[in-house]
Amino acid sequence: MASYLARRTGYMVLILAISSVVIFYALRSAPGGPSGGGVLSPLSSQEVRQAYEKRLGLDQPVYTQYFIYLSHLAKGDLGTSLVNGTPITELLATHARNSLVLGLTALAISYLIAIPLGVLAAVKRNTWVDQLAMGGAILGMGIPNFWLALILVYFFSLRLGLLPSAGCCDPPQLLMPALVLAAEGTAVTMRMTRSSMLEHLRDDFVRALRAKGLPEWRVILQHVLRNALIPVISLTGLRLGWLVGYALIVETIFRWPGVGYLLVDSVLRRDYPVAQFFSLLLIFFVLMANWFADIGYGLANPRIRVA
Amino acid sequence: MADVTIADDKSAWEARVERLWATRPSRWRDAWWELSRNKLALGGAVIVAFFTLVAIFGPMLAPYDYANQVLSDVLLPPFTGGHVFGTDELGRDVLSRLLLGIRISMAVGLGTTAIALVIGTVAGMLAGYYRGWVDRVLNGFVELVWGFPLILIAVLLIGAIGPGLTGVIIAVGFVNWAGFARIVRGEVFALREKEFVAAARALGKGDLEIMVRHLLPNVVGSALVMGSYYIAIAIIAEAGLSFIGMGAQPPLPSLGQMINEGSGYMLLNHWLSTIPGVVIVLLVLGLNVLGDGLRDVLDPRLKGQG
Repeated sequence: MASYLARRTGYMVLILAISSVVIFYALRSAPGGPSGGGVLSPLSSQEVRQAYEKRLGLDQPVYTQYFIYLSHLAKGDLGTSLVNGTPITELLATHARNSLVLGLTALAISYLIAIPLGVLAAVKRNTWVDQLAMGGAILGMGIPNFWLALILVYFFSLRLGLLPSAGCCDPPQLLMPALVLAAEGTAVTMRMTRSSMLEHLRDDFVRALRAKGLPEWRVILQHVLRNALIPVISLTGLRLGWLVGYALIVETIFRWPGVGYLLVDSVLRRDYPVAQFFSLLLIFFVLMANWFADIGYGLANPRIRVA
Repeated sequence: MADVTIADDKSAWEARVERLWATRPSRWRDAWWELSRNKLALGGAVIVAFFTLVAIFGPMLAPYDYANQVLSDVLLPPFTGGHVFGTDELGRDVLSRLLLGIRISMAVGLGTTAIALVIGTVAGMLAGYYRGWVDRVLNGFVELVWGFPLILIAVLLIGAIGPGLTGVIIAVGFVNWAGFARIVRGEVFALREKEFVAAARALGKGDLEIMVRHLLPNVVGSALVMGSYYIAIAIIAEAGLSFIGMGAQPPLPSLGQMINEGSGYMLLNHWLSTIPGVVIVLLVLGLNVLGDGLRDVLDPRLKGQG
């Protein structure tokens, strides 16, 4: 296990290093650039642009820029936004916190809805409860999250006036983005809980427990559910990675000032320092999540533990 | 005499077996029969077939040009002024734009999935069949891509090459081939130990023939099941990226972009985003349900799960 951990960690560092080079080059190869309409006005003169690029060091070869960037990083200098001059450390503090709040709320909502409903659907298999829950799950997987967002905004903000349609960071403003972000995960987790429950309900130990005279609710909740939750929990890491992807869209729609919104905005505006730092941060987060997923999977199921 | 009777019986019996074998329902006919009995899957298949036809022929039947602006006829509600689904904020016919939008969504979904399916199946087959360093290299790539959020990769790629459908297609294909490769690799890993592969090898068949004639038919079912889910994933990804301005660029109508354009008029003209939204949901539901049905039919071991 130890050597596996070491290899996995080395692999992670390697991917991060490669990603940093790729992202650095990719951003700079894009048409436009900060001086070409991204940050400066598209109407600014050639001299202004050249002066601007010189001041930022953008006139140097990309690999020189890369090493300069690395040396700054090593000194703990993350740079500042080209758009408004805010230090990236400041952006990191506020936006990362907002994203974490949103993501964790979404995760909590999704598990709190999905697991009880999944258990109920499995126990009441082939009844209307099951069909309703599974129908809801299929619908939840079919509705694109951005359209769900629009529908919620239409009803709760425009029609009923109950919730603000965008913004941060009070609980009422958190509710809709978190629900939208949770939707797909809830559907997938519900289906998984149900099928895992069904699998374990057929196990011999369940028959033994019932024969022993254990009340049915204890059989289900204490024994079957505990086994059935293993694959669900061990997928949390992968789930976190997916949440990052969806967060890019959900945060953009709700103008939720998180890392996802910041990244989409900075990519579109060619704000190099912000875009490269936050894309690396998200890649790091996804890699960590997958790392935990791997470890969690191994711990939960020793038979498939990768040696 | 007795010998003759036995020989006759034997040849009669052999002839009968021969006849039964010749008239056996093919694997696909069998699967089709199973599928036609699965009502949910049939519903999904009908929806998918309908949208495929719309994608092929729809734009030819469109009543107006999709980009034609009639500024005197802006924001007409459905069924007014000769516009079945009304007009948008620039007076363009929503139905005509929708028909082209469906074609774009279907093309992105089918195109990327076809590419991903071919690359993923080949990679998974090679990795699972040859194992060793081939597997280590290929699986290294798979692990690299797998688990990366599609939208994040797409946003970064689009950051590099600029907004448009090309970035969406490359990003989706780049991420999704790994899914196919994983499934196929796992199956081939198990299948190559089976007796029929050993038999084929004993008969002197080459690796290529074993892979194409004996292993491929056994993995194509799972790959197709994955395929129908992946088309849905690609369609949602394209719509989402177009929605935040990174996919199809105006005036090209993608379903996600139509929803985005309509989002500014939700209170009074909600049909502008409701109609394309309903179309995406129907399309994705159809594909997912069809995928569930195909899985039950082609991979009965998984029946009732998930």
